[in-house]
Amino acid sequence: MSVQLDGEFRDFMRARWPAMVRLAYVLTGDQGHAEDVAQTAFARAYASWPKVRRTGNPEAYVRRIVINENRNRFRKQRVAERLTDAPPESGTADATSQYDERSALIAALQRLGPRQRAVIVLRYWLGLTESEAAIELSCSVGTVKSQASRALASLRQSAELVDGGFQ
Amino acid sequence: MSIDDQHDLYERLDRAVGAITPRAAPVEGAMRRGRGMRLRRRSAVAAGVAAVVAAAVLAVPALRQATTRTPAAARYTVTVQAPGPHAPAGLIASGTVNGKSWQLVAGRPGTDGIPRGQEQIRVSGAAVGQTGLTAQVPALGPDGTAPVSFTGMSAMPTQVQFGAVQADVSYVTVRLGNGTVLTLHPARVYGARVVAFATPLGATVVSATAHSRQGDIATAIPFNDPGGMASFGTWLRPGQHGLARASGRIGSGSYLGGAWSATAYLGPWGACLEAEGGGTNVGSCVDTTSVSGLGTNVMFWAGGVPGVAGGSADASVVRIAVTSPDGKTVQVHPVMVGGVKFFAFPLSKGLRPWKWTAYDSSGKVVAAGTGTPDS
Repeated sequence: MSVQLDGEFRDFMRARWPAMVRLAYVLTGDQGHAEDVAQTAFARAYASWPKVRRTGNPEAYVRRIVINENRNRFRKQRVAERLTDAPPESGTADATSQYDERSALIAALQRLGPRQRAVIVLRYWLGLTESEAAIELSCSVGTVKSQASRALASLRQSAELVDGGFQ
Repeated sequence: MSIDDQHDLYERLDRAVGAITPRAAPVEGAMRRGRGMRLRRRSAVAAGVAAVVAAAVLAVPALRQATTRTPAAARYTVTVQAPGPHAPAGLIASGTVNGKSWQLVAGRPGTDGIPRGQEQIRVSGAAVGQTGLTAQVPALGPDGTAPVSFTGMSAMPTQVQFGAVQADVSYVTVRLGNGTVLTLHPARVYGARVVAFATPLGATVVSATAHSRQGDIATAIPFNDPGGMASFGTWLRPGQHGLARASGRIGSGSYLGGAWSATAYLGPWGACLEAEGGGTNVGSCVDTTSVSGLGTNVMFWAGGVPGVAGGSADASVVRIAVTSPDGKTVQVHPVMVGGVKFFAFPLSKGLRPWKWTAYDSSGKVVAAGTGTPDS
């Protein structure tokens, strides 16, 4: 790839890295995983950078990979959970009492399915319209509406968020 | 949901992520991984005859069955023709391998349920068995600055190589190990200009040269991997030299009751790692012309019994600590091949992430990451 294209990519990644890590963090609930997912997304973007830049919106391209990477990760984890022969750990309260609003929201989001989580993030954090979210998720507007409705209902029933005032 | 709810949710999400401080953007690491993905995408469509290859060609190491290691074909004849003026839509090229015919056709993008940005490629004919091979690949088009973006398909007993060419490429010549020189004329297929050729699996592809009206543009000397496929990576401009050839075993042993081994190959194609374990042969390449351009990076994770991971390490790295999902840590020492440090270690089959951390002689962390073996 040319020096000029490499330079463009470097500038793009440095500028958008924090935003993509934060997006991945909301989706994964873990900063380490979030950075892995974001780096993979940027690597994939670089692998096709001449095409990606021609789209005129490389950020949307990377964002889509971040969302898909998280969905793939979720599917793999779910299979892995079926395969384990050890009993799952029981949930316990955070001994350090650092159970703040941030962890409450992130924990509540992690209890949603990956698509519902993605809909919440796209619609209510990134501010995409239902049509735009549908394009990002390769689904219909109706699916976005129904997933958003179910996700919000789940969040409203989340004990931590109810205590924190989200009802 | 009320407006207040939406606003409240936005505020909470913003506060939650605002507390996150990402580390510095790992730009060079992402670019190294991206380069590896580019090469794998060009070289990694390998599947059994009649299989429909899954969409995830991108970023998937080339998996081959180790039990079918293919000897180099001694005598063979191959021909190739570009489509004529009345050829059916989508025909990229046709030809023969040892007198048996083949033809390669691209499906119209966006049809047959193929996702946007993908394309279906089908090779058929007696040279590739009764039912042929269909693969779903990224939409055909020039990739980066490579004059030809070759992708290989393994359709026993034949390999088919195809790729889009840049606008300035008039034709491509391919030199084979038996002395044959094929001349490939690009066919215009759904907006892209594409060339293709086929050889017996295991026949050595010596080089491919892209020509413009003014002369030679660049030459690629592919890595002919143990599975019999040619992997095109680095394209060398006239007068440019790639890496000197070198190879060496970088790891081997027994793990989980099965043998594993990994070998590094440096050459004008770049740097390639090949590993065997659990009945599977996995390979990955990075296109580079400099031994210092590889850095510290795991190039592939392949699950199996055992699976294998392998990568390159910066010159300062003296050990890599590998932690399995159950928390056990082992130390892996890099091995020098052709002036580059490589490392490899065995894995269990699984879907949980492994961690690795590379250290220099002072105990400082040089690089770190996680990976999940393929199941």
